[in-house]
Amino acid sequence: MFKILLVDDEKSIVNVLTISLRNDGYRVVTAYSGKECLERFQEESPDIVITDMKMPGMDGLEVLKRIKNLNEEAEVIIITGHGDMDSAIEALQYGASDFINKPIKDEALSIAIERAKEKIAIRLKLKEYTDDLENMVQIATEEVRRRSEFQSKLITSSNDGIVATDDEGEIIIYNPGAERIFGYSRSEVVRKMKITDLYLKEIADEFIEGLENKIVEKRLPWKDVTIVAKNGERVPTRFSGTILYEKGQVMGSVAFFQDLRELKRLEVELLRSERLAAIGQTVAGLAHYIKNILSGLKGGSYVVNVGLNRDKTEKLKQGWQMIEKNIGRISELVLDLLTYSKEHEPEYQDCFPNDIVRDVCDLMQVKADDHGIEMERDLDQSIGEVSIDPQTVHRVLLNLISNAIDACIFDDRGKKKWKIVVKTAREDAGMIRFEVTDNGSGMSDKVKEKLFSSFFSTKMGRGTGLGLLVTRKLVEEHGGRIDVSSTLNEGSVFIVRLPFGTLEKSSKIVVNG
Amino acid sequence: MGKRVLIVDDDSDIITFVVTVLEEHGYTPIIAKNGEEGLAKVKQDNPDLVLLDVLMPKQSGIKMYRELKTDESMKSIPVVILSGIAKRTFLRSQEALTEFGGQNVPEPEAYIEKPVEPEELAEIVKEFVD
Repeated sequence: MFKILLVDDEKSIVNVLTISLRNDGYRVVTAYSGKECLERFQEESPDIVITDMKMPGMDGLEVLKRIKNLNEEAEVIIITGHGDMDSAIEALQYGASDFINKPIKDEALSIAIERAKEKIAIRLKLKEYTDDLENMVQIATEEVRRRSEFQSKLITSSNDGIVATDDEGEIIIYNPGAERIFGYSRSEVVRKMKITDLYLKEIADEFIEGLENKIVEKRLPWKDVTIVAKNGERVPTRFSGTILYEKGQVMGSVAFFQDLRELKRLEVELLRSERLAAIGQTVAGLAHYIKNILSGLKGGSYVVNVGLNRDKTEKLKQGWQMIEKNIGRISELVLDLLTYSKEHEPEYQDCFPNDIVRDVCDLMQVKADDHGIEMERDLDQSIGEVSIDPQTVHRVLLNLISNAIDACIFDDRGKKKWKIVVKTAREDAGMIRFEVTDNGSGMSDKVKEKLFSSFFSTKMGRGTGLGLLVTRKLVEEHGGRIDVSSTLNEGSVFIVRLPFGTLEKSSKIVVNG
Repeated sequence: MGKRVLIVDDDSDIITFVVTVLEEHGYTPIIAKNGEEGLAKVKQDNPDLVLLDVLMPKQSGIKMYRELKTDESMKSIPVVILSGIAKRTFLRSQEALTEFGGQNVPEPEAYIEKPVEPEELAEIVKEFVD
């Protein structure tokens, strides 16, 4: 219920208006002077004050001023004398809600009150709305703060170095990850350095270009770069960056750096341990092979001793053969090891490659015959005389044919007609192809994988595990290549291609290919 | 004539060596170059002992050993494996063959990993032959 404070020094007017207002359903408080009005106003906090203008002592205008002083929002309706427009206007200037002329008409009064009530209602609504708005702004601010804190925590706790700049390239974000990589502290960098001071020129240039040219969509994809840190340390990193835009305008740039030092350290360690393991394997393989040779030598010397003691020439011969054979094995091993460990320059000579192939085939024929293996030669007569390293051809062919024979010998799939085909052909681009095909045991994928690794042998102590390794090295040093195809239980094909030089009876050799 | 010892090995050096050791100790060596030949010699000459290599062309010692130890007429002949292959590898290969549905075979009477000293070889041969 609205409360109205009614003030007039004329008691009769107060009485009449009080009755009328109460009839309209308002609560009415009365006062008979300006002074009393102010007291009542403070006691009763009325919604609306209706005051006469002309009163002895404190007049209506003064009452209006004082009330407005106490409560800016108080609604005050002034009652003025008939025709006293000046007072009415002055009152309105001081914030009166409305004025009514004497003699007071009920109609005019209720309209004035209704207007005042409307103003109160609007003000209430406005206040409610304003309060709500403030509330909403507060919630939004809180959310923004929370998000920004989350993002800043993300940036701070990221292991990656994150560096962001404004549109002029000045650094504004520089996280602890970046501190670890660049070695500069945050306080040395933020708002003190530009990317040109921090980044390598090649990276900085790309950013500056992006910032200046204002190319829409400038992304730098991940790549490996080495950062030079404050202390001069070269830090391997993986880097990516982008130019930031807002509504088509360049805002700045951001770059991400992943520290690769740990990764590189692990890589080096892995490499070292792999190398150590390889050396270990090498030594073990070598020891095994030498042990076999040694036992052959010991066996030979035992047989020789028996021959000496019993005066048996046959035993002497047999024992001595064993010793010689094992001396040969040691010589081969030493030769292989030397070839394997040293850089070797092929020595080109004018020669007939087919003749070398024939020599090697003749050399291996005995062993092949012993095991019932057929050897077929298919030599391209158009090769003729060329300039090539005969030693390389000889050793490569010897190794491949001897392997082919072993592949047949150790093929335990019962009776079968084993066959080795040795083929040569002149190819385009100044290459000669040497091909050794066997229908022996073939190789599993597992064996093929290890084919060219040191001291890997399937020959159970009968091979050094160096043969193919040395063969490939010789072939590669000669500028050639070796290819293998093999199927388990079906056989293998080894193809070696060697480039040859133009025939020239001098030391100056031009190598094709 | 001494007791007959069959030596099955594809390495001529080993054959020369073992033959010499056997002769020195009064045995009669019989030679076979692979498993196939070895089985034929066992049937033909009925040796008192078989010295068997494992890794050989044509027929490996692994297969020949199975045939020897699963044949009623041959299984009583003692077999000494003489090989560069470790004993455990040989036994594992036998187990694998048994698992693949083969007959169970006993372990060989003795196993010598190459290289072998002449005296050691002579002693082991003596143990099973005399």
